[in-house]
Amino acid sequence: MTDGEAVAPQSADEWRRVHVISPLVRGWIALVAILYFAGRDWFEGLFDADSRGRGPLPEGVGLLLAGGVVLGVVVVIAAVFLVSWYFTRYQVTAEHVRVHSGVVFRQQRQARLDRVQAIDIVQPFLARIFGLAELKFEVADAGESAVRLAFLKLDDAKKLRATILARAAGVEPDPDHPEEVPEAPEREVVVIPPGRVVGAALLSGTTVALVVAAAVIITLGITLDTPFIATSFIPLLIGVVGAYWSALSTGYNFRAATSPDGIRMRYGLLDTRSQTVPPGRVQALGIVQSPLWRLKGWYRVTVNVAGYGASASNEGQARATLLPVGTRDEVLQILALVLPDPGTPRPVEVFGAGMTGRDGGEGYVTTPRRARWLAPLAWRRNGFTVTGTALLLRSGVLWRQLVVVPHERTQSLSIDQGPVDRRVRVANLQFQTTPGPVSPRVLLADADAAWDLFHGQSVRAAEARRRSGPEQWMKPVSLPVAQTVDGPDHHVEVRATTGPGVPDAAPGDSGRTAAVPLPGQPVGVHDADGDRPVDDAATRSAVVDGGPSTSGGSPGGPVGPSGATDGAVDRPAAPEQAAVMPEVPRYEPAAPQASPSLEEAPDGRR
Amino acid sequence: MRREPIDPSGLEWTRVSPKYLRVRLLGWLIGSLVWILLASVPLVLRLTGVWDSFPPVWLAWGLPAVVLVSAVWRGILLPRQVRAIGYAERDDDLLVRQGVFFQRTMVVPYGRMQYVDVAVGPIERAFGICTLKLHTASPATNAFIPGLPTGEGARLREQLSARGEARLAGL
Repeated sequence: MTDGEAVAPQSADEWRRVHVISPLVRGWIALVAILYFAGRDWFEGLFDADSRGRGPLPEGVGLLLAGGVVLGVVVVIAAVFLVSWYFTRYQVTAEHVRVHSGVVFRQQRQARLDRVQAIDIVQPFLARIFGLAELKFEVADAGESAVRLAFLKLDDAKKLRATILARAAGVEPDPDHPEEVPEAPEREVVVIPPGRVVGAALLSGTTVALVVAAAVIITLGITLDTPFIATSFIPLLIGVVGAYWSALSTGYNFRAATSPDGIRMRYGLLDTRSQTVPPGRVQALGIVQSPLWRLKGWYRVTVNVAGYGASASNEGQARATLLPVGTRDEVLQILALVLPDPGTPRPVEVFGAGMTGRDGGEGYVTTPRRARWLAPLAWRRNGFTVTGTALLLRSGVLWRQLVVVPHERTQSLSIDQGPVDRRVRVANLQFQTTPGPVSPRVLLADADAAWDLFHGQSVRAAEARRRSGPEQWMKPVSLPVAQTVDGPDHHVEVRATTGPGVPDAAPGDSGRTAAVPLPGQPVGVHDADGDRPVDDAATRSAVVDGGPSTSGGSPGGPVGPSGATDGAVDRPAAPEQAAVMPEVPRYEPAAPQASPSLEEAPDGRR
Repeated sequence: MRREPIDPSGLEWTRVSPKYLRVRLLGWLIGSLVWILLASVPLVLRLTGVWDSFPPVWLAWGLPAVVLVSAVWRGILLPRQVRAIGYAERDDDLLVRQGVFFQRTMVVPYGRMQYVDVAVGPIERAFGICTLKLHTASPATNAFIPGLPTGEGARLREQLSARGEARLAGL
């Protein structure tokens, strides 16, 4: 955003055109269709000509005419393509990317670089053959790409992506070679073997549907004693093969990497796609486990990113998938990329409890016992917990789900309560995020706890926004900001549930009331409703004063001080912690060491 | 206004204009009349003998009766529903609440507002009120305040825009 940059002449600022054959690659289906229909008549005519002996035209002239017509059509199409190509130009300046297109109806589009939500490089199969790629620049307009440059040479696309990301990040260009923007270094963190993708597809709902449908068809065939019903397998098989294919083609060769520009994902069998989600663009993250995947301990991670929108198509779903099928460790690794600072000294336990746990362990506040008849299965799992940086919402017994919403990403939230809910003193919370597959909500939480969360979350969200990083994530300014805010940080954490404070309530629900004591720890001092009954404080979450000893927002925070705070309560958890210590570094942002500018990445707010 | 158990403590809710109740009552009256007339069609046909046997008499009478009762019930509820609509401006966010049986309270941070709509229909204009709607980056944010006096609506719109600008946070 520096003005000097804009003034300085840069080669990337010049107007460019996409690759000349790209209209062909884009319109190849149309071209093939036209050629097919035009050619078929002519071709069939060749054979019919003898039998019918039609027309006064001599043999050679008919052929010539037909050939001329086809050639003419091709030339006209090529001319249209060429003209449309000629009139499509793009430009990347220090602050904007501009695209001019259209011949009769002209369109000039300009998008701010720092508004970038994601950048994709897509290579459809045909484009891949030609070594071309499409670049998609996404802003927060829910689904429709702001800028699509189709097609560029793959190298050019990568260079352009690096340039856009560097400028969007606010990296100061090298004064000597302003046009040379090196691609940000990246390190691969998750690679999904093809075998697992196949396994995941086989263990998906598609297989269940296939088995059920097959059983029904066979039963019907036997009872009705007719073989004709077997033909109904055909549409079924087509559907099933299609579903398997889409699962395979979008999950194949999936690899996730981290780079200073954000999370990189690559996948695809025939069409390949490389997505970049810059830091702080993930609005909400969902970890889902279907019943069959439980056998293998697999999870799927989906995200809401403002640029991706809520698309029901295969492509849209694949784009919003951060990890198509991953183990628990890989999920935690991905989480560490999205949320470099988990805001809790025990991230592995807390997220683990969110993925598979039940009841009140690790600070989760679940549906109260009195409301269990409203959710006979799920009441022990419905729950939420708050860390220093994110809100974790847990739900689902068969389809287990954990939703993580960074505090600064909450758009708005609502609390609702129906007459039945009111009777058993529970309430539901709904968190609104940008459109996407993840819908964060808390079901049937204790009314007081829900209200505490409602109130606390708006405070936390406001506070997190205030100290959140700039849109330009590598702007040198961010470092001092992060440091100065460290003080107020602790005030923010006042309402945060510290991991170790609560888990010991888990062994027995009855013991929980006794465990509440919190002597000397002001309960909800900074809160408008500190007048809640103490037993409610227990079912909610332990409210610990965020004095200097609370590790608060420091990344991968030292376990020691916080453990010391609740030392007396925390005894049983200590061995666990020791076992987990090696896990904690995984929650460091696994960033490549190469770039010095990465030093600031661990400050984490993005 | 009456405090509901779900309400946050220490908040001063601003109620919407009582004129909004009249608008709602007008709408309710028209709607109810139409429905009752529609539901009475079989009864009239039956009584005039056009239809001789099909709807049993109890059904012919029962249909409009049920519609009438539900209309009256909604009419009784209306004043409470209108009274239940409230909003509160805090330093960082705006709270909107609604509902009697199914209560909902929504909080929208100023920095999250993308734009603010003020809409006025013909009946609303006649009564000098308007409807204000807040939009965030999430289409699910369904926060609207009906029945604001026109002046208050304009003030709130300006206020929200100004505060939104001051606290603007990306996404």
